[in-house]
Amino acid sequence: MTPAAETPPAVRPKSYRLLKHGWLYVMLLPGVAYFLIFRYWPMYGLSIAFQDYLPFLGYQDSPWVGLKHFEELFAGPDFGRLMFNTGLLALLTVLFVFPAPIVVALMLNEMRRQVVRRSIQSIIYIPHFLSWTIVASVTYLLFSADFGVIAGWINDIVGGPRADYVAQEEWFRPVVVLQLLWKQTGWGTIIYLAALAGVDTQLYEAARVDGAGRWRQFWHITLPGIRPAIVVMAILTTGHLLDSGFEQIWLMTTSLNRSVADVFDTYVYYIGITQGSYSYSTAVGLFKGVVGVLLIYGSNLLSKRLGERGLF
Amino acid sequence: MKKLAAILAVTMTLTTVAACGDDSGEQSSDTISVMAPLFGTAPDPNGELQQAVQKLLGKKLQITWVPNADYNEKTNVTLASNNMPQVMVIQGDKQAAFVQAAQAGAFWDLTGKLDKYPNLKPADPTTGKNATVNGKVYGIYRVRPLLRSAITIRKDWLAKLGLPMPKTVDDLQAIAKAFTERDPDGNGKKDTYGLIVPKWPGNYASSSPYDVIETWFGAPNGWGERGGKLVPGFDTEEFITANKWLKNWVDQGWVNPDFATLDSANWNKPFVQGRGGIIIDVNVRSADLVKLFKEQDPKSFDKVALAGNLARSDGQKFSAPFPGYNGIVAIPRQKVKTEEQLDQILQVLDKLQTKEGTVLLTNGIEGRNFKLEDQYAVPLDEDNPQIKTINNDVEKAFIQLGTRASIGLSAYPPKPADEPSRQLLVQRAELATEDLKTAVHNPALGVVSDYYIRQGKTLDLIIPDARIKYLSGDITEEQLRAEIKRWYAEGGTKIAEETNELVAKLGK
Repeated sequence: MTPAAETPPAVRPKSYRLLKHGWLYVMLLPGVAYFLIFRYWPMYGLSIAFQDYLPFLGYQDSPWVGLKHFEELFAGPDFGRLMFNTGLLALLTVLFVFPAPIVVALMLNEMRRQVVRRSIQSIIYIPHFLSWTIVASVTYLLFSADFGVIAGWINDIVGGPRADYVAQEEWFRPVVVLQLLWKQTGWGTIIYLAALAGVDTQLYEAARVDGAGRWRQFWHITLPGIRPAIVVMAILTTGHLLDSGFEQIWLMTTSLNRSVADVFDTYVYYIGITQGSYSYSTAVGLFKGVVGVLLIYGSNLLSKRLGERGLF
Repeated sequence: MKKLAAILAVTMTLTTVAACGDDSGEQSSDTISVMAPLFGTAPDPNGELQQAVQKLLGKKLQITWVPNADYNEKTNVTLASNNMPQVMVIQGDKQAAFVQAAQAGAFWDLTGKLDKYPNLKPADPTTGKNATVNGKVYGIYRVRPLLRSAITIRKDWLAKLGLPMPKTVDDLQAIAKAFTERDPDGNGKKDTYGLIVPKWPGNYASSSPYDVIETWFGAPNGWGERGGKLVPGFDTEEFITANKWLKNWVDQGWVNPDFATLDSANWNKPFVQGRGGIIIDVNVRSADLVKLFKEQDPKSFDKVALAGNLARSDGQKFSAPFPGYNGIVAIPRQKVKTEEQLDQILQVLDKLQTKEGTVLLTNGIEGRNFKLEDQYAVPLDEDNPQIKTINNDVEKAFIQLGTRASIGLSAYPPKPADEPSRQLLVQRAELATEDLKTAVHNPALGVVSDYYIRQGKTLDLIIPDARIKYLSGDITEEQLRAEIKRWYAEGGTKIAEETNELVAKLGK
């Protein structure tokens, strides 16, 4: 009857598909709306990085100043220090914090007794659920120069003048890395344990028949088996390299260690929220975001070049 | 089935969209929205005290109580929101964020407007001037006693070691030394120290123990004249001398070892627990400490002695005054649009600061939580939970709204609960009057340099950080001096210039 019914199948597919799966697309709408409204639309606010933003005047009436804030940041006295501190913390994270869950997961995997293994697993998850505020307070309690219990023990063993582990510059990075290890290692093992569970057990049997020892099995089966998981985690981590864990660092900063503790995140908070310099801190945050995106693309590219699948 | 899916999808989309609309509905004129700092539990809006205040004003109050520790942050966030209250307590009234916003017109300029309101116009012209920003009045100042600095010392330790109350910095040094080395608590162990200092959250010249000690040695309080020009207090030899003196204390172990990290909320603890014996802070701390000792042991709690500001070794005395106010009450223009609306708000605030109002804000409800006894407020029935709530609402919250009467200056002074407290109260007044004669005032209090507002954001931390690092031995005296130079190099020169110009223009 209708002309549409006569249309040959060849010209139909696109509109046909849209029609056939119409409701799926409709159901996609909330998700799209969410991203547009809560993720993309607020990015409009980034424009204040190019203004001398004053809340009372708003986005429309605040004067535009171009790249003034970026120039101020790059030429300013703080940039080098921030970059160095953030970079060094990122490097320490990659060196110590990133491999720790892999090592622990592999060790757990080698355990024979299921009961022991499971209970260890559950116990090492716990620190993840404590907030940084609690971790920081406990650190102060244990390591304070005046009444810290552990600081006292160390002092009894080492002797000499009492070191102030929570305040002194040279102890800031070790303390932060130790806190990260303590809090995040157990939780991080989850993904690797899942990957380990996915390794085909037949491979192990075959290897054993061929006379491979434990170490050989580990090197040639286990490790390649979880390599995709490691790569994905590595790419995701690079994206967050400059996010140096704001809460943790903010809580551990004192007048004595600020010169090594100041990172982009704490700086943005101090300048933007405490001092009310909205535009300048937005510029700093925007710079950090751009570097983060570059890092994630870079590492993705690198992993593809090295023959891995990459993330996208 | 399809219909259900469609309804589901559409409702979800709609709720998502609806969730981000804002409700900037006009507030009805019989409700006033307020933002104020809080020092304990937030009062119940239906609580007795708030009801009493509302009855007096004939208006409903919608108060956002913000914990004091986060107040500045929350203020800056609120400034950038479209949900500003009609009345706002501003604590950082000289800080860039507020001054910039006020100059852009976010707050009502009240210059010359307050004279109509008998309880809002400045009671003390000097303080009134200190509370301005380059001659402009952006709020009603919240009064504080002008001289609050004092030294609180363990009385029983002094008595045990046979030491007199300190008059000079040398006396105090002898006390700190003896408290550390001569076992004042008599437990046979060397486990005490003299001075207790916490991690200080504020900037330079924010009435910290360091600032007070520097003033004793003759350094300017904030800004001072040297060679015919105003210089920041830290750019003087007295500043260096004072810190050298204090560094020796740190080196000798006469100061708590965690002075860079001790949370200021725990400042009293080492004192009450008998680890340290000297606190340099506001004089009302002595009253808090007596209370804490009394809780610990109701039979012997007379363990707190109070000393005033100290003279230098050469006998010259300089005392550290406070600004005479602590923050202002400002009126944002976002919700208060016209002069008529402003007048209404100011009338209500004026009523709040009448004698009747200030009694409610600083004492509570007469006949309920206190009674009057020859102009003293005597607490009533303190263990009754309802009365406790009223006392909490007064002391931890509503007192913050007082501009004419406030902390340390209640409408009726509280009657001391016991003899030691009474003595301390008398001493407090005597010492404050005495020290006021030698107070070193800051001539630049009412002045904010324009350059500081635009570019000064990274300068604030340089001096306090360098001071602490020098005291703890992380940097040498040369490096401390270099940091002071760095302050100048990174913009301080311009700030000093502008401050000099502004003070000259506005008169001292």
